Amino acid sequence: MNWPDLSMGGYGFYVWGSYLVSLIAIVWEVWSLSHRKKTLAQQQSASNSVPTSVLRESANETSS
Amino acid sequence: MNLYKYASPATFYPLAGKMIPWFAIPAAILFALGMFWGFFIAPTDFQQGDAYRIIFIHVPAAWMGMFLYVLMAIYAGVGWAFNARLSSMMASAIAPTGTLFTAISLVTGALWGKPTWGTYWAWDARMTSTLILLFLYIGFISLHSAIDDIRRADRAAAVLAIVGVINVPIIYFSVQWWNTLHQGATIRLLGKPSIAAPMLTAMLIMLAACWLYSVAVVLIRLRCIILEREQNASRFAEVGV
Repeated sequence: MNWPDLSMGGYGFYVWGSYLVSLIAIVWEVWSLSHRKKTLAQQQSASNSVPTSVLRESANETSS
Repeated sequence: MNLYKYASPATFYPLAGKMIPWFAIPAAILFALGMFWGFFIAPTDFQQGDAYRIIFIHVPAAWMGMFLYVLMAIYAGVGWAFNARLSSMMASAIAPTGTLFTAISLVTGALWGKPTWGTYWAWDARMTSTLILLFLYIGFISLHSAIDDIRRADRAAAVLAIVGVINVPIIYFSVQWWNTLHQGATIRLLGKPSIAAPMLTAMLIMLAACWLYSVAVVLIRLRCIILEREQNASRFAEVGV
């Protein structure tokens, strides 16, 4: 095992920049999906006009 | 066991929910392992120094951008040809993740290009065709959003996705067909890879992590799409549209 040189031999901006951009993109995607899920769950609980089997099951999942 | 029942969004919805942790947890473990392998085990490159370590995210992201586009076009095509709603929903669920990976490959490629080629961007065949892939993804999402009737939107976006597939082999073979600034393929379908084993291992672990991550987020998005479409259908039914 080799301990990496944090400055990446002078290429730190490019290497860490690449991983930072990728991390931000992935975190943003996961966060936006979780926000979308929450909004949908709120819409369901606010409305009683969605009586399909899919929506019932989803309501059970979000309440548990 | 009748597998065809899972072609129905209502039946697939709970199955997708059960599948998500089986992809998300291994994805997180493999991302951590891939990063460890890439930074602690893989040696420094004798030509590019440590700048080459961008490869561990750049190459998997570029591959995922291409793979996901083909997968999206197949699902969109099946949804169009067989009027299969779940397939069209799957295509819509894949598109944003494919866009994300293509954007990551372009940004990390630019950050790799500056120290190695002296420029962030060049209009060479590989980079330009990858940029076109990004526009195709954005076009698919925009076209789908622009049409109110969901089934018409599915069909129109499917045509765009299928026509755009021609760009994927162009991206893959661009480094052979044209004299490009971008380097040739590191890993070939036939023949030995041109990088050392520890570097290849780290790259393949990161590729597996990206695949597992993609499946997990696509399934989460698919469940949201199923719910949204069911909600819209119920609302329209209520007002008698």
